[in-house]
Amino acid sequence: MNFKAVIIGGSAGSFQVVTRILSSLPNNFPVPVLLCLHRLKHVRSGFVEALSLKSSIPIEEPNDKEQLKPGKAYLAPANYHMFVELANRIALSTESSVNHSRPSIDLSFITAANAYRDKLLGIILSGANRDGAAGLKAVKDKGGITIVQDPNECEVKTMTESAMQLTKVDYVYKTDEIIRFLSKIK
Amino acid sequence: MTITEQDYQLFLFALKSSSKYDFSEYSEKSLKRRLLKVLTDNKLNITALVNKIKNDQIFVEKVIKEITVNTTELFRDPQVWHAIRYAVLPKLKNNSVINIWHAGCSTGQEVYSMMIVLNELDLLDKAKIYATDLNTDVMEHAHKGEYKYRFNIGYLDNFDKVIKENPYNYEEYYDIPYDKYFKIDKATDTIKMNDFLREKPVYKKHDLVKDGNPMYVKFDIVFCRNVIIYFNYNLQNKVFDLFHRNLYDNSALILGMHETILGAYSVKFQKKGHVYYKI
Repeated sequence: MNFKAVIIGGSAGSFQVVTRILSSLPNNFPVPVLLCLHRLKHVRSGFVEALSLKSSIPIEEPNDKEQLKPGKAYLAPANYHMFVELANRIALSTESSVNHSRPSIDLSFITAANAYRDKLLGIILSGANRDGAAGLKAVKDKGGITIVQDPNECEVKTMTESAMQLTKVDYVYKTDEIIRFLSKIK
Repeated sequence: MTITEQDYQLFLFALKSSSKYDFSEYSEKSLKRRLLKVLTDNKLNITALVNKIKNDQIFVEKVIKEITVNTTELFRDPQVWHAIRYAVLPKLKNNSVINIWHAGCSTGQEVYSMMIVLNELDLLDKAKIYATDLNTDVMEHAHKGEYKYRFNIGYLDNFDKVIKENPYNYEEYYDIPYDKYFKIDKATDTIKMNDFLREKPVYKKHDLVKDGNPMYVKFDIVFCRNVIIYFNYNLQNKVFDLFHRNLYDNSALILGMHETILGAYSVKFQKKGHVYYKI
């Protein structure tokens, strides 16, 4: 499958899933991985370190205007929105929260969908609010592939179910199946 | 509604040709989003917006206020404030005057954070605090020094980290009461900064796109946090040039946690920890 980027959104209950996904990726994963995960307001640091413990690819909280590189994961920094610009670069913003969220999964997904169009894989994981639903719809509308974690497997189903209500998603997968799908990306 | 490239260019051109503002070197992604918000909030299409910009300067000011981003917090990123408190300020303690410029001060929480740190180090009296922004409404808010308590409650934790605790010595603890600096009124849901802080800064309207040094002094510290993320490379370089020319040698430039100096000016500043120093 031919993608230019993978973007993953999640909130409550997604940390373990993201950790499993990141630990399963080959260290020469062919595209950048964008992570937009909600965290508790006071958790400002240490999140990258926690995710990095088991990840097979390097993870960083990117700086503004940083160029995205294959085989690396980019975690939306605490208290910033993370956009993707057309030139494959990150743009950060401190605009107000969207749906009570900053980073907003919707905004990251929508801007990534505009930048990568049908070459984007969007994945929504466990979470306790509706953020990400509009974002996943944007991925689908631009011709990208959409996956949600099987709500039956999610610690909290609100996020995945909201996404499924808004979009006819391509795949509803358990974590193992998501990992298998990602392993086929060349 | 979406913004086409043509809409965007029409908007930029209208501002540039009929007002004193030039947003053509702002970062496109954010500005387009903000433009869309202005159109939606004012129930205008692009043609109507452009016409109003051409004919109504009061409306232009309103647009400028709506289009700029005004997020700021008390002690945002405590580790940066630790660097200011333990690395930057000790080097300035024998100065007769310490000139500080908050460029893009917004509603002022950072200005107050800095004054509180200065006061804890007995440096407030010799500090001159200059704060500027493009948006005069947010500066009025800054001068008023009154904030929603519930909105800021999470930041009391940051106050504790910066003012009460010493990250380099966990046995040290300064039991500084909040009301030394601000009054919390839960009934009216407000935090009000004390007058000795409120009356200290000099506020002035300033446009980083085209204005020079607003204060005719050189600076020991310049704050410009989460402002240049809204600028393109070219404009960022102009701003770094302005700061470089108006900082003393070895003086500090404090940017946002995820902002970096790229390009020509990266060799004219040296980064140590969270702080850039003029070379």
